[in-house]
Amino acid sequence: MATATDFDRRWIFLAIGVLVLGLYAFGSGAPMPVSPYVQSYFDTIDALPEGSVVLLAADFDPGSAAELLPTYQATIHHLLLRKLRIVNVATWPAGPPFTRSSFAEIAPQYGAVYGSDWIELGFKAGDDVAMGQIGQSLLSSFAQDDRDKADVTSFPIMQGISDSFQGIALLITMSAGYPGVLEWIAQAGGRYDVPILAATTAVQTPDLFAYYPSQLQGFAGAATGATQYLQLVVAAGVPALEGTTTDNQERMLIQTYAHLLIIGLIVTGNVLYFLGRRGA
Amino acid sequence: MLLALQQATEPPFFSITAPDDVLGAWLICFFTLAVFSFLYKDNPFYKVAEHVFVGVGTAFYTLQYYEEGVIGRLYEHMEQAGRALGEGGSGVMDLGGTPVPAAWAIGLRSVAVLLSLMLLVRLFRSGSWAPRWAVATMVGIYAAIKMTGETQSKLVLQVEGLMRKPLVNPELASWGSDWAAVEQTQVFYTFANLVLLVGVLCALLHFVFTFRRGKVLAGASRVGVVVLMLTFGAMFGFTVLGRYALLIDRIDTLGDYTGGAYSLAPPPAAGSAGALQLMLSPPVLLAVLIALVLAVAAASRKRSA
Repeated sequence: MATATDFDRRWIFLAIGVLVLGLYAFGSGAPMPVSPYVQSYFDTIDALPEGSVVLLAADFDPGSAAELLPTYQATIHHLLLRKLRIVNVATWPAGPPFTRSSFAEIAPQYGAVYGSDWIELGFKAGDDVAMGQIGQSLLSSFAQDDRDKADVTSFPIMQGISDSFQGIALLITMSAGYPGVLEWIAQAGGRYDVPILAATTAVQTPDLFAYYPSQLQGFAGAATGATQYLQLVVAAGVPALEGTTTDNQERMLIQTYAHLLIIGLIVTGNVLYFLGRRGA
Repeated sequence: MLLALQQATEPPFFSITAPDDVLGAWLICFFTLAVFSFLYKDNPFYKVAEHVFVGVGTAFYTLQYYEEGVIGRLYEHMEQAGRALGEGGSGVMDLGGTPVPAAWAIGLRSVAVLLSLMLLVRLFRSGSWAPRWAVATMVGIYAAIKMTGETQSKLVLQVEGLMRKPLVNPELASWGSDWAAVEQTQVFYTFANLVLLVGVLCALLHFVFTFRRGKVLAGASRVGVVVLMLTFGAMFGFTVLGRYALLIDRIDTLGDYTGGAYSLAPPPAAGSAGALQLMLSPPVLLAVLIALVLAVAAASRKRSA
């Protein structure tokens, strides 16, 4: 007698592929309700006084760009719109190219000047140790900037920054895994009392609920959080992100139906399993 | 040619901000589809993509670590320290936020280099004592750094947060009419915090093995198992969410390359649908070719068996 375990799983792959392709071609999205975690992410940035310096860490790579790049770019838009200054770092080697390309596209829209409104410090190896060192002394962690290879102390944006995160009003990480937000919380949040925000991949998101709001002031988890945050940023006055927001809303519709398919498959698999066990 | 590449300030095809080129489009589509072909079965297309990915990834990461670790932290550091020494031997260097004399900066960094070299001895003599010193140093430092921060964030503050969690929040309305905002009501707040409190205690009690399991402990343990399973279920759900996001992004990328600029077919005449252009675009043409080759290979295998 054939059982559920004899089923060729390639049919499942095909079903998912057809469903996703079909919805991608013909589906449409709708606005999502915003969760308190994402609202807090937005509000924390919005509440910063103009000219404050924010440390933005691009702790992700191309493998997680699908989930994190929209939030990363929306965050840059939001920060520059609010006239906040950005110090960019990365503890993932593949992070700096995203910083370079994103600022090349976004900074001119706000007339932001390199060195005054934002700076790219580049990649720092060492995971947790590097994060601890950045917290201890940002200036000695990066002797030169990543773009112009000039002494970091020569840039106006670095003038008010000193050891132990003095001069840094907020730390935001785009966290794809290890090292990421949990390590920033342990190495920077606890030691230097700097508020932390995070955008995370879906896999990492369940870990973060326990840290909100005492150790993590807000987070945009997964593509869901990204879509909600994009909606808020567009509503705040960034029409350039309307296309990305619509794309993400459409993706969330695909996600919804694809999840329903997975739930259906799990239920079917369990029913077949128990029926097979009873028949044996 | 290499000289010309070096002299160019920012060659367009090395820059992530460069517009997509036609060759790049074909390569992106080929490697994406080659990886997807693994869903059918392991095959040479997937192997090629896998090896190229590992090779390119290794090269990129090696270069990044070389620039940051060797050029930045060793070469430039030593050069700076040498300059400071040349100023009369009284130069002071910043080492991890601490000012130290230049001679000390050179000495301490030399110890790090020595430990790194000792680590490499393993390549030549597997049982040597030398790598153990380097590993022991790394483990010791890493444990010390992790212990303080992790204990604070994952234990002390978590326990404190749970103990200080009030069951009543006077700022919230007792009950609302809007179901979308049910999370912001007093009833939900109290219920959620009660679930949290009971859930954490029961999950912890599940791992108490010191005492014989009476009715109370067994019951609490049972609830703890349910809490743990709910947690794993939520984690699985989020993982599926993430994987779908990646799949949709890949399909979106493939969709971007169905445009006429990347197709082998000439632009369609005015009024025609452009089906040929779509068929000869990188994702469609490559998908058909890969599927065809795999089908022919499967048929010939079946015939020879």
